[in-house]
Amino acid sequence: MKNSTALLAKNISKTFYISEDSHNTVKHRLFNLFNPPRKKKVSALKMTSFEINKGECVGLLGRNGCGKSTLVKLLAGVYPTDTGYVKINGSTMLMNLGVGMSHELTARENIYVSGSVLGLKIKEIDAIFDTIIDFAELRDFVDTKIKYFSSGMVARLGFSIAVNAGADIMFLDEIFAVGDMKFQEKAIKVFESSWIEGKTVVLVSHSMDVIRKYCSRAGFMKNGEMVYFGDTEKAIELYMADNQ
Amino acid sequence: MSSTVLRDWNNRSNKIERIWLLAKIEFKLRYYENKLGLLWALLKPISEIFIFYVAFEIVLKQGVPNFVSFLFIALIMWNFFVESTAGTIQILNAKKYLYEYTNMNKLEIYLSTILSNCIGFFFNLSLFLIYFQFLDNGTAELSLKSLYIIPIFINLVVFSLAFSLILSNIYVLAKDITQIWLVITGVGFWLSPILFKLELFRKALPGVDYLNPISGIIINARNVILYNKNPEWDLMAFGWVYSSFLLFLGLILLNKIGSKAAEKL
Repeated sequence: MKNSTALLAKNISKTFYISEDSHNTVKHRLFNLFNPPRKKKVSALKMTSFEINKGECVGLLGRNGCGKSTLVKLLAGVYPTDTGYVKINGSTMLMNLGVGMSHELTARENIYVSGSVLGLKIKEIDAIFDTIIDFAELRDFVDTKIKYFSSGMVARLGFSIAVNAGADIMFLDEIFAVGDMKFQEKAIKVFESSWIEGKTVVLVSHSMDVIRKYCSRAGFMKNGEMVYFGDTEKAIELYMADNQ
Repeated sequence: MSSTVLRDWNNRSNKIERIWLLAKIEFKLRYYENKLGLLWALLKPISEIFIFYVAFEIVLKQGVPNFVSFLFIALIMWNFFVESTAGTIQILNAKKYLYEYTNMNKLEIYLSTILSNCIGFFFNLSLFLIYFQFLDNGTAELSLKSLYIIPIFINLVVFSLAFSLILSNIYVLAKDITQIWLVITGVGFWLSPILFKLELFRKALPGVDYLNPISGIIINARNVILYNKNPEWDLMAFGWVYSSFLLFLGLILLNKIGSKAAEKL
């Protein structure tokens, strides 16, 4: 892998086998040794290869259920691939409606855990701690367990951690739906204030404006297949045609 | 040369810091969430010692010298093993938030949990040593041989980590492993030389000191701490081979099954 490459996906595919019966206990498995569960095969992602360079913002387009989220999880290293391989150069963070936070922990603890998981040292987290709290507007709830937070507060904290701590490669899955209108404006402002510049980002969005504005390249997916990967305008065109 | 490489790796990576941070938070969650705090950790072995003392020394008159110390050291070892195995079967489910959104190495989750259990163990061990050295009459003094407790305890940690890996990965496929393991540890308790004199145990259950991984640990821990003797070397060597094999098996399972935990759980 070249040094300028952030992410390399080679011949990756993913198939899920969805079982109709629940064979998830030792007892059930023993009693049904000669009666294996019926499994439904779902090809969530068909064979695909591509490369994302460091500092590039790539968009992913496609209708619901086309495999965008599966692809993102494979690229982030959350799911293992069935075939091929994904080479990741650095830490990854997947962000959709939330990021990985424990509801049993306080906002402070979650910031330290998330920051550390994203590859930061404690001293580095100390330095950005106040920025994260202030951006999330949670100054009065620093030592409250987030299980007592409203869903909007949790989402704001997640967004703030992602924006301020950030991994080497960020996967943003419909993140502009977070928080109230005021917070959304703030989130967009962060993006526009060059946050995205110089970062490797894979952006999943149904908003053409967002994709057009930030992405230098984009992929269009349909039925688990990467139909097109390249020019953003062309990908948008294909997506619009698919929605007709 | 190797120390430079190690220092360089440590400077660039935050792995050690992260494992320690997760261990501290885990420890805090376990013991500081209730008012009694760390006392709970001590209350368990104390109540067990009380019950077994009444049963085996007062009622059955087994006649083990310094029975409280004899029990205490065995129980803290056994409880560490049970907490690190039964308590972690659902770890991939409980700690899903750590690996569901990032490419964090799952092994770090296990290491931090076992490290948090080690903190509890050291607390119990310190109290045991205070009791043994200053309060229990007629016992041998602690000596340099007592330092063999370090490799013995590390062996226990490897066993616990191995079982934790094996069980929690089986859990991904079979949820009732929790109940099955409860039965196994229930039987395992009585098939360990926790309560009985070693001679009686070996006579009645020949070979179990090798088969049951915790037996060897308890026998050797008593040898080096209570009796000022060397560990039984063959038992200790066997324990290391046994635990290394189980750890290898556990790591294979983590690689095969654990890697799919995000989609299966």
